[in-house]
Amino acid sequence: MEIIQVLSYGILLGGLYSLLSSGLALIFGVLDIVNVAQGAFLVSGAFLTWQIWDLTGIEPILLIPVVALLWFGLGIIIYRTLFVRVAPQGPSMTVLLSFGLALIIEGALNLIFGNKFKSVQTSYSLQSYKLGEINFPAPQVIASLAAAVVLVLLYLYLMLSWAGRALRATAQNRDGAALIGISHRKISSFAYGLGMATAGAGGVLISVSYPIYPATHYEWISKLLGIIVLGGMGSIPGAIIGSMLLGIVEAAGNTYAPQWTILFFYGVIILSLLFKPEGLLGARSRKDSV
Amino acid sequence: MNNSYKGLRKTALVAAVTALGLLITGCGIGSSKNSDPLVIGISLPLTGDFAQPGGAAKKGYEVWASLVNEDGGVLGQQVELNILDDASSAEQVVTDYNRLINQDKVPLILGTFSSLLNFPASTVAENNEMVLVAPAGGSPKIFEPMPKYYFFAQQATAPRQAEPFVNYILSLPESERPKTAAYATMDDPFAGPVIANMQALFEAAGIKTVYSKVYPPETTNFQPFASAIAKAKPEIIAQGAVFEDGVNLAKGLIQIGYSPKAMFQTSAPSNGAQYSDAIGLANTEGIFYAVSWSEKAPTPMNAEFVARYQKLFGAGLVPEEDAADAFAAAQVLQAAVEGTGGTDNPALADWLRANEVQTILGPLSWDEIGRPQGDFLLAQWQSGEVNIVAPDVAKTSNNLIFPKPAWTK
Repeated sequence: MEIIQVLSYGILLGGLYSLLSSGLALIFGVLDIVNVAQGAFLVSGAFLTWQIWDLTGIEPILLIPVVALLWFGLGIIIYRTLFVRVAPQGPSMTVLLSFGLALIIEGALNLIFGNKFKSVQTSYSLQSYKLGEINFPAPQVIASLAAAVVLVLLYLYLMLSWAGRALRATAQNRDGAALIGISHRKISSFAYGLGMATAGAGGVLISVSYPIYPATHYEWISKLLGIIVLGGMGSIPGAIIGSMLLGIVEAAGNTYAPQWTILFFYGVIILSLLFKPEGLLGARSRKDSV
Repeated sequence: MNNSYKGLRKTALVAAVTALGLLITGCGIGSSKNSDPLVIGISLPLTGDFAQPGGAAKKGYEVWASLVNEDGGVLGQQVELNILDDASSAEQVVTDYNRLINQDKVPLILGTFSSLLNFPASTVAENNEMVLVAPAGGSPKIFEPMPKYYFFAQQATAPRQAEPFVNYILSLPESERPKTAAYATMDDPFAGPVIANMQALFEAAGIKTVYSKVYPPETTNFQPFASAIAKAKPEIIAQGAVFEDGVNLAKGLIQIGYSPKAMFQTSAPSNGAQYSDAIGLANTEGIFYAVSWSEKAPTPMNAEFVARYQKLFGAGLVPEEDAADAFAAAQVLQAAVEGTGGTDNPALADWLRANEVQTILGPLSWDEIGRPQGDFLLAQWQSGEVNIVAPDVAKTSNNLIFPKPAWTK
């Protein structure tokens, strides 16, 4: 029975990680940008949710479309004003830029909200669902379900819309996509906006599950980077599989040997990279090909 | 005659200029002694993981400087704080204190926040023979190198923080005394020794350990811990927590519905509304923690500290314990400077080893390696507010809640 409990905790955790890491994978897949600021966008989305909830008492989950849309717009502005100028200088410069952005966001959150933890309290914050002897914490269940809904919508959009197809085409072959008339500049800012929208939606979800604090973005980004490296940089399905796997590893570690959980978490990533350096679902890239 | 007159005039002119020069220089010395500020160098984690306690400590130092300057300063000099941000980084804290001491040439320094940062800071202080009075940093590891210049400005070192709670539990009649305990602690130089010492004391008293785990600081998901602890059915749950981990374990236990007879956490419950907002005010009832300070304590300057804090940072705000600890650390340094009549750091260290200092935390004194010799206070959440329940001299409530009531969902 205990193993089922551990698996259920892991899957719930993995569900949340899936949405949080998908945006990071998307941005890398299309733009070749390791967006270190993704954790800060996530945490700032959580703070915005807390602020609106604190003022209005609205159910936070209902804010997913609002925060996601706002972050989408913000993402497009950030890409067009900052990344578009720095991206031609190479990946290391975009990493520096996104790290700088993360520090600025952390500082801004400190100034606006203070160095204090904020918690969103909902009617289900302290509840859990029971199935026999198995416990399912309500905030995690709701967050995972909401993450699944957002991911399905994202998948459908990427598969069925023209913009989604253009985005996938660019991710597969940037020059080929340009040859058939897909504007790299437009699709790049769209991809960055979409990645940020997932961070906004994810921010709403972490606000219902955890106390939030400006500096927690470091913890999130280190986990999310680990997940997309395991899944295969740029692969959204890979990010989802990586999330589930590492969610279960984390839950099992916390149950049986918490002191070693971090070692297990990153150990799995290192081991898998030894056998499959491109990640679970990553494609081997040839830099000599055009 | 003419020549001698000229000579006399020349001599008089030289004498006058010399006298004027001496007068000006003398005045300059005199005035610089009183008008030059006494700069105190401090590095604090104003960003990063420890930004919350770092920000609170900054407020505590600022309140102290405000009160001291209003009262004429230290040895007649106005105090100026030179505060740098170490971004919660052990590397940056070393850079900061080296810069403050060797580049900015500050005559005095005060400590940063957390054992994790004060440990490297203490090494810099020792190497430069500068007294470092630290508002936090009671980990036993800091005292292992036998420091001469490090002084921890709370009542006791980390391992002894658990003692008031242990003493209370062991004072219960045999029939009421819990028989089993579970321990979970962050792998942290302060929280870890608190819980390790508590476990050793309880085991020695016959209270059986049914769960004991150490977790890394990055841990955020505590439902697995809550499930494992509930399965072990301990009557006492003790957690070496910082904040988020304390909240998340409590929430996990509430969600599962397992409430022990007594629950003790380090640090997390001392965060006032941040703690009660996170787990629900009703669920704080009966939770114990050890604390260094209470806003209700009748210690010298405490009322002034609270009043000035509220004047500077907001009416009705209750100062954080971390702010009070920083204020007390500054009081300790002030007492040493005034006691020795200067800023000679080796003399300050000798003075602190030989004297007791009255602070808002109560009287503090230290042994040869800067370990404080007092006792922490035992606090408990009662009816939505915090009361000191031990020792008798510091009690703010005679009521003590045991066993802890069930959680409210």
